[in-house]
Amino acid sequence: MTLPALQDIATHAASNGVIRIETAPREKSTPIILDMMRSVYPHDQVFGRYCTVNDYIDCPPDELFEYLSDTRSLEEWTYSLRGFEETDEPDLWLAWDKLGSETEIYTRTVANPRARTVDYHCAWDQGKHLWMIYLMRVVDAQVVLDKPGSVVLWTNCHHPFYDTNPYPEAAPAERPVWVGDFWEMFGAGHELELKNLKAIAEYRHHNGLPITPAWMRDAKLTRNEMSGIS
Amino acid sequence: MTKAPTVSLIDIATYLPENRVPAEWYTSQSDVDNDMRDNPMFTPPEYRHHAAIDESNVDMLERATAGLIDRHGRDVIAGVDILLTHSQMPDLPIVGAGGELASRLGMNPQVILDVHNGGCASFVYMVSLARRLLMSGAGRTAMIACSATAAGKVFEQEQVRKLAQASVPGDGAGVGLLTLSDTSPVLDVESRFYGQNAKDMTLETDPPRRWWQAGSGEGHVGFNEGKIMKVLSRGNRMVPEVVQAVCSRIGVKPNDLDLLVTNQPNRLLLRNWDEALELPRERHRDTFNQCGNLFAVGIPVSLEAAIDDGQVKAGDIVMMAGFAHAGDFAGAAAIRWGGRP
Repeated sequence: MTLPALQDIATHAASNGVIRIETAPREKSTPIILDMMRSVYPHDQVFGRYCTVNDYIDCPPDELFEYLSDTRSLEEWTYSLRGFEETDEPDLWLAWDKLGSETEIYTRTVANPRARTVDYHCAWDQGKHLWMIYLMRVVDAQVVLDKPGSVVLWTNCHHPFYDTNPYPEAAPAERPVWVGDFWEMFGAGHELELKNLKAIAEYRHHNGLPITPAWMRDAKLTRNEMSGIS
Repeated sequence: MTKAPTVSLIDIATYLPENRVPAEWYTSQSDVDNDMRDNPMFTPPEYRHHAAIDESNVDMLERATAGLIDRHGRDVIAGVDILLTHSQMPDLPIVGAGGELASRLGMNPQVILDVHNGGCASFVYMVSLARRLLMSGAGRTAMIACSATAAGKVFEQEQVRKLAQASVPGDGAGVGLLTLSDTSPVLDVESRFYGQNAKDMTLETDPPRRWWQAGSGEGHVGFNEGKIMKVLSRGNRMVPEVVQAVCSRIGVKPNDLDLLVTNQPNRLLLRNWDEALELPRERHRDTFNQCGNLFAVGIPVSLEAAIDDGQVKAGDIVMMAGFAHAGDFAGAAAIRWGGRP
């Protein structure tokens, strides 16, 4: 049985760049594919619109997910985010991004344990509009690589605010840099941070330590006790 | 410790068979593998030369050597101590071309070696071998020789010439003269073997048979879409890697090379290598459009083209590089070209 795929937009799809085997058989699609296969790809093509880094980490995926879900893990594995404190607004954290001198960074972490997605919604200078989104996903390596451990997928999208600071009034006076000035090095910078994450998590796992360290757990318990959740 | 002696590639010479075949000769044939016809791996060059059906590797190599004899004299060639040959398709699978070639040229070498591996990068591999032999004291002069004869033989066959792959190969021969001297020094060589890819080079017939068995099907190279992707992606990776390895050791940035000559399997790989090395297209000399895929002979033929029209001058850094078969070998060699005598 053939499904009525694209029946509603058949004419449009065929003439508007939808490449499917019915309208572009192999002898048509192969030249397109081969032309796209290069020895090297320009930096902008790889990291210009979307910045993706991935790596394998030898520790259990659920434990890694739990660790990443805690905003304060960023205090450990990021290159420059330090001094996380919870703000008066629930789940909104304030830290310093040492990349920009005197720069406040706000973070709200949205985690989904079933999909093991951890999205850090962040912004420099103000916590009202969190537009710098770090999309991460922890995948069970047993499923995708046939070995125990985790695969971490991490993508940032080039939000237009990276190019122009939408809230200049919130910036510290005379700060010479803007977070978007560093977009071109995000690929390398995020890879460096992912290697930090790998080194930290693998060391803990290989040495029988919990991936989420005691100080992070204890603080969480205390907070929960204070708010009466536990 | 004494310094290792310097080996120079002092000259090269090439030969292209007289029969020059235009692309139409193939495209007018009826298509039996239409799905491959538009594959960029098999986009036909405008021309290619075909060896005559009775023209042997030895014939072609002897004709290529004429250029060396003209410039260096018959005695220099006759006095060669080391002779290395590579025949894309041996005249007889059992005996290589070296013995007969030495005899025709009046040589009495200490070493004759028919180099069967190295494929499209065998010119580079033979530079490496000759250099090692000369440095180890095996002689003072070496000649390396490579020939491609399949276009006028295998790919002219009635069934095979209808295949998309048939329009790409071209025939020719190239020879190089190496001596213990520093006039045109070989600066460095990189040779890398990838034996795991060797089995991906296959010959096919329809109906299937072993190559030495009698049968009706005409032999040709076994290609399918998966294999094309593999060969393309291996070539994409390997050639820039070996070039960069040599560049880094000799302290030259790839985009500062004065000339790059490679094997020339198709236009895609030529483009991709330039992009990878950030090399301006004009400094990567090829003869694809006039000669097709010359396999091992692509490197000397393109280098000679650059010497003949003055693109490469004495003192220029020339990089020769290529990969073999379905990616079982890659090699690169850099020389500081000393100019012709």
